[in-house]
Amino acid sequence: MIGFLLGEALRDLRRAGRVAASAIVLISLSLVAVGAFWVLSFNLGRAVTEWRERVRVIVYLRREVPPAEVPALLRRVAALPDVASARYVSKAEALASLKRVLGKDAAVAEQLPSNPLPASIEVTPTAAGATPGAAHALIERLASLPEAEEVAGGVEWVERLAQWQRLLATIGLGIGGVLALAAILTVTTSTTLVLHFRREETEIMRLVGAPEIAVRLPLLLQGLVQGLVGAGLALAVLLAGHRLAAPRLEPLINLTVGLPSLDFLTPPAMLTILCAGAVLGAFGGMLARGRRAAT
Amino acid sequence: MIEFHRVSKVYEVGPVKVPALADVSFRIGKGEFVVVSGPSGAGKTTLLRLLYGEEPPTEGDVEVLGQPIARLSRSRIQTLRRSVGVVFQDAKLLPGRTVYENIAFVLRVTGTPRREITARAFDALRAVGLSSRAQAYPAQLSQGEAQRAALARAIVRKQPLLIADEPTGNLDEEMAAEVLAIIKDIWARGTTVILATHQARLAAALGRRKLVLEGGRLVKDEGG
Repeated sequence: MIGFLLGEALRDLRRAGRVAASAIVLISLSLVAVGAFWVLSFNLGRAVTEWRERVRVIVYLRREVPPAEVPALLRRVAALPDVASARYVSKAEALASLKRVLGKDAAVAEQLPSNPLPASIEVTPTAAGATPGAAHALIERLASLPEAEEVAGGVEWVERLAQWQRLLATIGLGIGGVLALAAILTVTTSTTLVLHFRREETEIMRLVGAPEIAVRLPLLLQGLVQGLVGAGLALAVLLAGHRLAAPRLEPLINLTVGLPSLDFLTPPAMLTILCAGAVLGAFGGMLARGRRAAT
Repeated sequence: MIEFHRVSKVYEVGPVKVPALADVSFRIGKGEFVVVSGPSGAGKTTLLRLLYGEEPPTEGDVEVLGQPIARLSRSRIQTLRRSVGVVFQDAKLLPGRTVYENIAFVLRVTGTPRREITARAFDALRAVGLSSRAQAYPAQLSQGEAQRAALARAIVRKQPLLIADEPTGNLDEEMAAEVLAIIKDIWARGTTVILATHQARLAAALGRRKLVLEGGRLVKDEGG
């Protein structure tokens, strides 16, 4: 019987014509909006994660620590809260690093009468320590070490990136939500229209004792089909948009947030969009049923 | 099979109460052919609507196929209706479906196995002499043919009870005679038939048990 009822739902969709098509388009638009912001937010999230992992706090030391004392100092630093790891960088290593950065201009460093660079400890905070508040507290703790001359490092800009990511996700959900509401109302309208078209069928079904599910299921299936078609279209549009835009945007994204590529939605995210479409459609169909029951 | 015990039905239209049936009692046994007659507005249609659970009685008890209509849930009424065939003055065929599809539709929505549908639909069409018109659409049928298709739909599940509300009301004499002959044939095969008509001549010609209603009251029960 399910096959027959699905056939009835498709027949009803054809009857609803333009209204059903409008509902599909609106579902697509709402999911394209959500999906597009999801792609942006997802990629910004990747950048935030990557940058959080790269956050370092540098403790510049007053003097070079004798090699025998380095392990004890590192153990003391590693024991502080929110410290994931600590690495000692001697004056010589710092100079070598500078020369690597200078590249062909490294000869400039050779001209120096002595090595002016201080020894330092490179501290990697834990994930919890990479938030602005925690990082600030960590910097204060490191600055109170007797060996510390100065502490540098901050995570505010990473947090600003994370705020952008949250803002994008919220905007996407907001626009998608408004469009989804419109889509639900359109599905409800198209299903109500179908209810009007099929009032004779419904009358006969009730007269001959068809179970209630046989009367109502086509409405639900109709909405579900509209939702799935809308979601499928939305994914196709998003994929095409990504294929077109990604190669053009990737150099800019690489330069600004350091991501090598602009990734598309993951399979679970695509499945979520399909399910969201189905739920939107089915909900619209159910609302029409409720209206009918109320009358 | 059917029992009405002191049944009254009052329709409420806003503040106005319109009595349709008043204190009606009768019993109908299995296999009877009962004609419900009376002038327009006598309460015939209301009586039939109570029989297939479209309306609950305001007072009294209605029992159909052993089921107390007033106490049945919506789903139990739907189940009961699967044992009751109903035809109306207008055939109520679905315009976008062929005669065969109209009949198969009833079987499909009531959960008949797919493999049985064609055979059962054609059995019903043969019983009303309409198998050659199976692929015709309602708009292509004469009124008599449309009413025969409606009868086929009403008996396709081999329902033990057939309720016909003015089935010949829109037909000329010849077509009416054809339809009545088919209804008699259905009755002769064991189906209980309750037929409502306002045509006194027709009621007399059928020569069966007659329930006569006037102003919502049962004024005559003869031939039972």
